[in-house]
Amino acid sequence: MPFLNRLFIWLGAAVVFALQCQAKTVTYDFNVTWVNANPDGLYERKVVGINGQWPLPVIEVEKGDRLVVNMYNGLGDKSTSIHFHGMYHFNTTDMDGPSMVTQCPVAPGQSITYDFMVNQNGTYWYHCHTDNCYPDGYRQALIVHDKDAYFNDMYDEEHVITISDWYHDLMEDIEPHFITLANPTGAEPVPNSFLFNDTTGLNIPVEPGKTYLLRLINIGAFVAQYFYIEDHTFRIVEIDGIYTEPAEADILYISAAQRYSILVTMKNSTDKNYPIVTVADSVLLDLISPDLQLNQTNWLEYNHDAAHPEAVMTVDVCSDLNPFDDITLVPHDKLPLYTNPDHKLEFTVTMDNLNDGAGYSFLNDISYVRPKVPTLYSVMSSGSLASNSTIYGEYTHPVILEENEIVEIVLNNADTGSHPFHLHGHVFQLVERYPSYGPTFYDHATGDPVAYDASNASTLPDYPARRDTFVVPPQGYFVIRFKADNPGVWLFHCHIDWHLTQGLAMTFIEAPTLIQERVKIPQQHYDICAAAGVAHEGNAAGNTADFLDLTGQNEQLPWLPAGFTAKGIVAMVFSVVSAFLGMGFITMYGISDLKKGGQGQDGSSSDENGAEY
Amino acid sequence: MAGNSVFAVTVFFICFRECLETTVVVSVLLAFLKQTLGAEEDRPTYKKLVKQVWLGCGLGLFICLAIGAGMIGAFYGLGTNAFSSTENIWEGVLSIISSLVITIMGAALLRVSKLQEKWRVKLSKALEPRTQHHTQGSKRARIKRWTEKYAMFLLPFITVLREGLEAVIYVGGVGLGLPATSFPLAVVTGLAAGLLVGYIIYKGGKETSMQIFLIISTCFLYLVAAGLFSRGVWYFENHAWNKIVGGDASETGSGPGSYNIQQSVWHVNCCNPMFEGGGGWGIFNALLGWTNSATYGSVISYNLYWICTMIAYGLMIYRERHGVIPVIDPAMSRVKGYQEKAKGFVLRRPTRDETASRWDS
Repeated sequence: MPFLNRLFIWLGAAVVFALQCQAKTVTYDFNVTWVNANPDGLYERKVVGINGQWPLPVIEVEKGDRLVVNMYNGLGDKSTSIHFHGMYHFNTTDMDGPSMVTQCPVAPGQSITYDFMVNQNGTYWYHCHTDNCYPDGYRQALIVHDKDAYFNDMYDEEHVITISDWYHDLMEDIEPHFITLANPTGAEPVPNSFLFNDTTGLNIPVEPGKTYLLRLINIGAFVAQYFYIEDHTFRIVEIDGIYTEPAEADILYISAAQRYSILVTMKNSTDKNYPIVTVADSVLLDLISPDLQLNQTNWLEYNHDAAHPEAVMTVDVCSDLNPFDDITLVPHDKLPLYTNPDHKLEFTVTMDNLNDGAGYSFLNDISYVRPKVPTLYSVMSSGSLASNSTIYGEYTHPVILEENEIVEIVLNNADTGSHPFHLHGHVFQLVERYPSYGPTFYDHATGDPVAYDASNASTLPDYPARRDTFVVPPQGYFVIRFKADNPGVWLFHCHIDWHLTQGLAMTFIEAPTLIQERVKIPQQHYDICAAAGVAHEGNAAGNTADFLDLTGQNEQLPWLPAGFTAKGIVAMVFSVVSAFLGMGFITMYGISDLKKGGQGQDGSSSDENGAEY
Repeated sequence: MAGNSVFAVTVFFICFRECLETTVVVSVLLAFLKQTLGAEEDRPTYKKLVKQVWLGCGLGLFICLAIGAGMIGAFYGLGTNAFSSTENIWEGVLSIISSLVITIMGAALLRVSKLQEKWRVKLSKALEPRTQHHTQGSKRARIKRWTEKYAMFLLPFITVLREGLEAVIYVGGVGLGLPATSFPLAVVTGLAAGLLVGYIIYKGGKETSMQIFLIISTCFLYLVAAGLFSRGVWYFENHAWNKIVGGDASETGSGPGSYNIQQSVWHVNCCNPMFEGGGGWGIFNALLGWTNSATYGSVISYNLYWICTMIAYGLMIYRERHGVIPVIDPAMSRVKGYQEKAKGFVLRRPTRDETASRWDS
């Protein structure tokens, strides 16, 4: 019966889209195994390959297609999953991919099928969403072509360009040195190199006068990159799957997980090749080793035989570059600003140490700790209690959203670094950001953080830009809004993978009763839980008898003890007592000299003096 | 070594002690002159000799100040930053050395009245034999006569010079890790305090109040020394922590990450004596060994210091009352011998006995 339910939903969707286009099913079979690769030419390492290949295959579908991905985990030593970044998964939240949120981790030897309708368009990507697995190479572009895109007749050819940071060590070797006593500041591991389409020094052959659509995706785990092409400007036509009115720009700042589609028109001469320059945002990095190449040059190759000049840096530090401010973009569909939000949320980002001395990240003092049962499965198994946020545990930081309410998130960043925040299952409207991109972006990086003040809000845009990943400035804030029109369990988190590991995430449970009605989880997904030894029923603590009893839930570590604890007081008392006792002895000795009085005059004790020093 | 940029406590006590010792010598000399040449007919000779005493003092003082200034200037000219990579070890070693120096000086201070007596004996030994040679007319005798004639100049001159140079070497050794700005005030107040106490002794002020003053100041000294000792251990631990973290942990201020939670006994996120000068907490740290981040090592060493002090003083009290302690006393003097040797080695300070005997013979 549930199968039939699901079928009906698809049938319904199919009927709708059959009117617009011929929907088809696109199937990918992924056998995930370790392979070797040396993408930067510096170091060969083990990477996660698909069907024995790396770089991974780009998933390409048409808008309205049904996408089926059959993944077999052949890694042997690691659990995995796939998140289709930017996909809305309308009524298929179970296909979203994050482990312990909407599914169980897929253990070695297990298979999972992701099956969902793609009723959206633009530039996306897919990546592993289990522990720190995607920086090991498990990430690639996902393109949804749209024959109705308004800019289709404005370009001749398109290219997908991924940019990424790259580590030479396996995540399993880096991770143990990250959240430890020895790294109290939570300094993120610094990458060893930066890749451009999973290689370096790439030539993109171009023909003079033509216009190209470049789909730019930062598939990195950590570092944002500036992007520009020497002597070329371009027009932005899409961000994170949302078409925008063409906007002229010359420099982009692409954080981890962000996408831009740009139209670049070539010059009419073929005298010269032009560097495509990517500059890693070194402000994010802790200690930069001198052999880390922060600036990469690739080329628009007009003429294979002409010189391929290296990029000339125009600034001393990358933060002097003034990137295009994405909040100023206007969506092509002119969706108006959501007004009068029903549900206002305010979060503050902080970094602090817990009592193991290691660095963690917090949203309103909660560092995300994964539950014992994937949150979606708690929704499915809790009946009428699904609308009670208690059952999802304190440390998944759950917030329940009512269907169709307008949600406003104010994100105050009390940390001195910038953070690209990503919301699963939605794009959100970019309502406000302070400080904006440009020369003032780092104005509050030192000093006190500036929190959002509703009474001091600037004029809001009529048609705010929308995207799914947005950067909050150092010690600044942003305000975003979205409509809770997509029932599901959606993570809201910093897309710097290190910060996600440190707990910079929270969970939205959107219209839980509708999730129970509309989502049918395939038996295979439950079987994966069994294979992984994870419960698929119960509250966050795995309790199926009493959903309100959270005893045994995964918790964040206690805070550092503040000031004087019992042992501190004991130590202090002991020290004071021994100091006074010691001084008592000194006084006794001193007074004994006095008591002897005139005896000192007879010189009998002079030899004693000699012994004193 | 509190990172206090205004007042170096150790330097103060070194200056105080050396100055006090010099003052005692000078005061003994002056008293001696007054006693022997007190009569009215000796008035011109007396005045001349007193003049010699002060001239000797002045010249000695001037030379030491010149040498001291030169030495300290040279230290800072060479740049103490050379030590910064191992700064914590360096400061730890110096803290512990200072602690030991103060401890030994403190014990001596309690018996300063005996110091006066000791010098009186030494002086009479130094002066008496020479008066016998007065009548002979050989060449050697002429030199001896000259030395005798100017004894009242030479004695204070050499004493001041010796004590002064000792102070300079001490201050130089102990103060290497200190900022240059912390020196002047400590030196001036140390000298002033030494002069004051010396003057009180000379005037033969009330012995009771004098002794009470000495007891209080010695207790104070030991508080400082205990703090320094604990601080020294703290510096070693901080060095180990910085090595673990791979940088200067105090860069993170007073908050999390600036200390090793596993070693922490207490930690308050304020009142850091090391951070941005430390303010009042820096002085608190220098005087009482306060730290906002106590470790097992620093707490244990602080208490251990006092326990050792209690034992040592207990034994000294016992010895004064009941004479030499069988097994322990010989062992103690041996340890003190080692200590003296070690001190002499580390600070390149000539031991007192050598100089004293040179003078005596």
